[in-house]
Parts: sequence; C-alpha cells; structure tokens
Amino acid sequence: MNKPRYQYKTENHFEYFEFYSEGAKGIVKKVIEYQKTSNENIYNLAFGDYDEAAKGIDDLSVTNNGDSLKVLATVASTIYAFLEKHPNAMIIATGSTSVRTRLYRMGITNNLSEILEDFVIFGFTKNETWVEFEIDEDYEAFLVTKK
Amino acid sequence: MKIIEKLNESKVPIVPIDKRLEKYRGKVLFPEKLAKANEILAKATLPKLHSDCPLN
Repeated sequence: MNKPRYQYKTENHFEYFEFYSEGAKGIVKKVIEYQKTSNENIYNLAFGDYDEAAKGIDDLSVTNNGDSLKVLATVASTIYAFLEKHPNAMIIATGSTSVRTRLYRMGITNNLSEILEDFVIFGFTKNETWVEFEIDEDYEAFLVTKK
Repeated sequence: MKIIEKLNESKVPIVPIDKRLEKYRGKVLFPEKLAKANEILAKATLPKLHSDCPLN
C-alpha cells in the first residue's frame, strides 16, 4: 500500500512498533502492538496514543490530528512487516468502539483489491461466524493472514 | 528516485530496529482489546484457509 505513511521503528521480534503522528494537535507518539492471543499463532493487533505523562497507552483517545488516513496506512504497513517476520501468523483486529471498527472496515474496503493481492481477510459477523470479507457488510472483528 | 526511497515505498518496508522498544516486551499494552479478541476467537471455529496453511 503506497499511501503516505509515517516512518516507524520496531524491536527484534517485530511485535511492537512506534511512530509519531504529526498534525494540528502537534506530535503524538503512537504505539502498535501485536499481542499473542490464547490461540496459537494468532496475534491481536492494537494501537493507540502513548501518554508521556501517564507512561501508558490510551486506545480510546481521539487524537484529531487530521491524519487518520496516514495513521491507518502506517498501521497497515506494519502488517506487511509483521507477517514478513511471522509468516505463519494470523492477525485479529477489533476496534475499541463500533465507530472505529467501521473505520477499519472502510480502510479495508478502500484498499481491498491491493490487500487481496497478498492477504486473505475474514470478517466476524454478528452471527458469530467468520466469513470472507465482503464490501458493505458489518463485522465485529477482522482476521488477516498471508496468502 | 534514490534506492532507499524506493525501499521505503515498497509493500514490505525496511524497518529500523530500536532496542528501546524492548521495554514493552512481556507487557500487554491493550488488555481490554486482547480480552475482546480472545472472546471472539473462543466463539467460533476459525475459517478454513488454503490447504498448505499451517493453521489448518
């Protein structure tokens, strides 16, 4: 995905990433985490603002830095990096709110043809089943793996 | 275009390693989202993938 994105850095296992969002509200440190779930080889993708004062993460914060597309493109780019390092892994992603989950769905929809060149993507429906991702369908979570 | 710029625009980017990020190792930064993911994963059978996928 050759959309504008921020430069980011990671650690040896490619499970934590950091980058800085730059916009109307200034410079905000963002942290991305790929956390092992209770299912082997499935990692939970989550990201949020790093609160320098509290030395913690806030995944409910709305930064309003005017760069949400660039932030999403950056997070999407880390999926390539993560799956290059963990080729047998699957990634599950859920939004911290239903609005944010819809935002992820829109991001996937807008880049679907490119995503499908490299990845298989499933959505978790309200009927509690995994189905192949379809445009305009609502999902509670997404599951991504390399083709 | 410089080679490094081309590399940075590729799908699989060159990612700098920063040992300072090791401070996160062993920590769950988003426990509520991890719990939600585990809850969803427990609810349904995983989708069938291609036959050579190690998850099948």
